[in-house]
Amino acid sequence: MNVGTRKILNRSFTAVGIGSIVVMGIALLIVIVPIIYNGVGAVFFTGTIEHRNMLYNEFGEGDEAELAKQNAAAGVYRKEVYAMLAGFEAELEAMESERQQEFRSKYGSVRNALTALMGPLPGDTGAMLTRFKYGQTRWEKAEEKLHEFLYEAKWDYSDPDAMAKEYYVSRAAEFEGTSLVKIFPYVEKHLEEIMRPEFTIYLGFLTDSSVDSHIFGGIWPEIQGTFFLAIGAMLFAFPLGVIAAVYFTEYAREGLFTSMLRSANSTLAGVPSIVFGLFGLAFFINTLGVSESKSVLAGSLTLAIMILPTIIRAAEEAILSVPRTYKEASLSLGSTKWNTIMTVILPAALPGIITGGVISLGRAAGETAPIIFTAAVSVGSAIGLADVFSSPTPALSWNIYNLASEHEAAAEIRHVQYGMVLALVGIVLLLNLSAILLRARISKKLKG
Amino acid sequence: MNEEVRKESGRSGAFIISARKRKFQKIAKTAGESMLLLIASFVAIVVLFIFYFVAVDAIPYFQLRGFSEFFTSSNWYPAGEPGEFGALAIIYGSGMVTLGSTLLSVPMGIAAAICLSDILPFSVRQYAKPIIEMLAAIPSVAFGFFALVIFAPLLQTHGGPILMWVWWVLAAPFLLLAAIVIADLITAKIQDQNSRERMSKVLLAVFSVGALGFLYWVGSVLQGIEILTGTNALNVSIILSFMSLPTIVSVSEDALQAVGRDLREGSYALGATRAETIVKTILPAASSGIIAAVILGVMRALGETMVVWMASGNSSHIPDPWFNYLEAVRTLTATIAGDMGEADQVTGSARYHVLFAMGLLLLVISFFSNLVSERIVVRQRKILSGQ
Repeated sequence: MNVGTRKILNRSFTAVGIGSIVVMGIALLIVIVPIIYNGVGAVFFTGTIEHRNMLYNEFGEGDEAELAKQNAAAGVYRKEVYAMLAGFEAELEAMESERQQEFRSKYGSVRNALTALMGPLPGDTGAMLTRFKYGQTRWEKAEEKLHEFLYEAKWDYSDPDAMAKEYYVSRAAEFEGTSLVKIFPYVEKHLEEIMRPEFTIYLGFLTDSSVDSHIFGGIWPEIQGTFFLAIGAMLFAFPLGVIAAVYFTEYAREGLFTSMLRSANSTLAGVPSIVFGLFGLAFFINTLGVSESKSVLAGSLTLAIMILPTIIRAAEEAILSVPRTYKEASLSLGSTKWNTIMTVILPAALPGIITGGVISLGRAAGETAPIIFTAAVSVGSAIGLADVFSSPTPALSWNIYNLASEHEAAAEIRHVQYGMVLALVGIVLLLNLSAILLRARISKKLKG
Repeated sequence: MNEEVRKESGRSGAFIISARKRKFQKIAKTAGESMLLLIASFVAIVVLFIFYFVAVDAIPYFQLRGFSEFFTSSNWYPAGEPGEFGALAIIYGSGMVTLGSTLLSVPMGIAAAICLSDILPFSVRQYAKPIIEMLAAIPSVAFGFFALVIFAPLLQTHGGPILMWVWWVLAAPFLLLAAIVIADLITAKIQDQNSRERMSKVLLAVFSVGALGFLYWVGSVLQGIEILTGTNALNVSIILSFMSLPTIVSVSEDALQAVGRDLREGSYALGATRAETIVKTILPAASSGIIAAVILGVMRALGETMVVWMASGNSSHIPDPWFNYLEAVRTLTATIAGDMGEADQVTGSARYHVLFAMGLLLLVISFFSNLVSERIVVRQRKILSGQ
């Protein structure tokens, strides 16, 4: 091959390598940025008066006098809307039966769209679920609902080969010639006065419990459950892992038995996480009966087994990286082996061991599959510390799945889902970041 | 003076120990060490327990229904009366997304590992490593959420153009490079330098036009593709490949670093370029470690639950044609996670035990691939230290 070609090949080889790292960086950004952007929107957003009413009624937060003033101001415009509805209802009664039938169903869907936008209308029967007691709490959602109120979505099935296409029909045109026609431009024009959007910082998203399965309220039960599970797992796995690492590094004699133990360790590290879930169900719950059904305890034990190999490996590495001279100096001073381990080796290796522990804590917090059968419930309030032995808990990882794919109003509460994902990713990445910083400090210290 | 020191130490018991005390210490030491051994073998006990308890719940399924249905039928109707438990399509789905993610992640992972170990200077490497660590740290359910809520709708609405752009960006440089190399190889035999250069330029122009035409043709075919559902095998394969990348990169980087400097320097001294050194010398020397890395990456993709459960579409059928990555599939892990909720109440039925059978299958596969990758790493270490 000619030298020029070899040079080109060499450069493009370098480019491929750098390119693949760049692709990884871009992939990370593509995943992280929308999660951060939308997740922040769960706390910082433009809230409507419905949000403030909901907070006041469900959580007792907010200023009563101020809220009453705002409600009164919005009420002026809302009354106008209610009057138009009442006017049309009277007109409807006076129509001959055929036209009445036609308009009644159309009017029903108009009323539903309006209820979804601004909350229960006069004449509505009392709402069974909390979600029907309030209108849209977020401004961007209110604008969406306004569009649904103004235009009816229909599907075009005319072409049997292609997918059905959605198209919109103006409701105002459908009510041409009746008194209701005025209501559409009125609501469109006065939406701000009716909903009173205001920039809102809802820190309660992190500390409130949820209302009506996450339609309103915050994610505190999930955050707490995640902490209980992760810390519970660490309580079991950390001491066991460190002791096992001490054995492997200081006591184990190389031989068939030790290599079998090591092999078991890497086997455990490679077991798929869902199999841990099966094992937790079959062993901790069905065989040992640590709890009657799912519980935080069973989940923590399952997670502990899962993170054990990681902790052992990290602790082993940390212990091995302690300079031999430390150990030799201690032994030469007449200290026993056990004494040397406890007073010299472990303190020197401690930062490294803690780094491994912190990373494992993050892994335990983020894992979903092992807790599906052992600890997680979809809906629930925060549990007390005394209940960890007997009751299951909601947890961030499980509820992200549940809200995104099984919740009946999944598309309506995207902001809650994003908020949860950001909370989980934030917890895990913060733990990892602190581990990275800790490690950087250790390597600096070891370099002297 | 001397006497005093001895007395002092005698009192504290640090240096002079009575026979009784020594005996006691010996017993304490043995007891302590066996205690340590017990805790260290806890891991091995756990592994045995996992195998035992998963197998104990899996065997009743095979006793009830035999082996053939599970592996040969693709009718999965566990809730039917009587239920049908053909897992072939599910096993196939698992294999399909694993293969897809491996095809994407292995070349990229090895290239990134080479870049980290041989190409980037140390100062840049320090900033590149956290990227990989962060990718590894992001919880799988967050990736699943991304795949379901952001990526799937994107594929569904703009699938064709996305595929076309990816094809252009990835294939164009490689085809151009191939044109250059082929033109060079063909003209290598021509002795006269002037005519060789002219010939090579003509060939290069011809090949480039051909490559461009090929690029354009495939691109327009791809652009015309309409993706009916965004939750499909392609979506999952892409996301899984990013999840298994960190494993592949870090393990193969270790393998590359284990190859000593002397091999690299020898190759450079013979006049090889960096690319030639890496491809012809370093990669063969590190090959077994890289195979181990690939095995671990494959296992990561095969064992992943949340992403495939959320974004693979969970439809138990073999795609038509068999390589159609744009159809929804269902995997073993997602089936275990998804069906246990309903099967839970009927503990003891085939419906419950078949999920453990799937778990056992996963467990056995992961056990053997772990064993193989470990053997490979040990062998490589022996070979490298022997040299």
